[in-house]
Amino acid sequence: MNDDAELLARIRNGATDDFAGIVRRHQARVFSILHRYERDTHKVEDLAQETFVKAWRALDQFDGRAPFEHWLSKITVRVALDHLRREKRRQNEIGLPELGEDALDWLRSDGEKNELDARSAAELLDLAMRELSPLDRVVITMQEMEGRSVKEIGEATGASGVAVRVRALRARGKLRRALEKLMKDENEQTQAEPTV
Amino acid sequence: MNKHRLNQLFERARNEPAPLPPEDFAADVLRAIRREPRAAAPEAFSMLDQLNLLFPRIALAAATVIVLCVVVDWGLTAAGMPGLGDGLSQISAQWLLTPDESLL
Repeated sequence: MNDDAELLARIRNGATDDFAGIVRRHQARVFSILHRYERDTHKVEDLAQETFVKAWRALDQFDGRAPFEHWLSKITVRVALDHLRREKRRQNEIGLPELGEDALDWLRSDGEKNELDARSAAELLDLAMRELSPLDRVVITMQEMEGRSVKEIGEATGASGVAVRVRALRARGKLRRALEKLMKDENEQTQAEPTV
Repeated sequence: MNKHRLNQLFERARNEPAPLPPEDFAADVLRAIRREPRAAAPEAFSMLDQLNLLFPRIALAAATVIVLCVVVDWGLTAAGMPGLGDGLSQISAQWLLTPDESLL
């Protein structure tokens, strides 16, 4: 953390190139957060760049009271939220063809099949989460995937503690319904296929 | 879809590794920020901005003065003394709206 402070002090004194040090120290975390909201690697890279440029522009507003990592995480979440809002406008209906065979098997099994690799689980969740509003998605992702506290989620999203709890509860309900819909669609599709 | 199954899905998805940043990512960011100047310090407030900021206080002070005048007027009337309205009429008649005798 002290290294961050030293680097930031140098950057504030005009050593722009030292910002590369900040980027290298925090890029893995930024990519990891953004990947929860966007599965396309190229888009994740663009969003990560947008995050660091925004952090650079707002560097004077960082007062050092909280660790730099927390401040940067907040900017990352805001970038992800803006991205989800933009994507929501041009998003298609939830559909099955994007899912891999593993995820489809898991859906069909209705509780019996337990083997599901991390990638398939993430694909399935990503598809179901398209049914949520961008803010609901951020809240449930931060809570369930990143293990953040209600306070941290509130700080990152600008929502109150009560609003975060309500949104998380509502998002879980919507997610379950979206997954049930996927299951139903998949079962219908399987039954409709002609048997050889 | 029960609660356990949803939790299971979250648990599995949590283990998915994130993509690694490209090696020259930091250099790309530096190139981008060289095109993006840092946000300038906010400009000093103009007179209009300061008035805008002061407006709620000015409105509150004005409302307080009005309420105070109404209360005093009501008190004076109740005590059988000439009210503020009478005093003001007298002042305007005597000082402000005195007919200009040179014009007559």
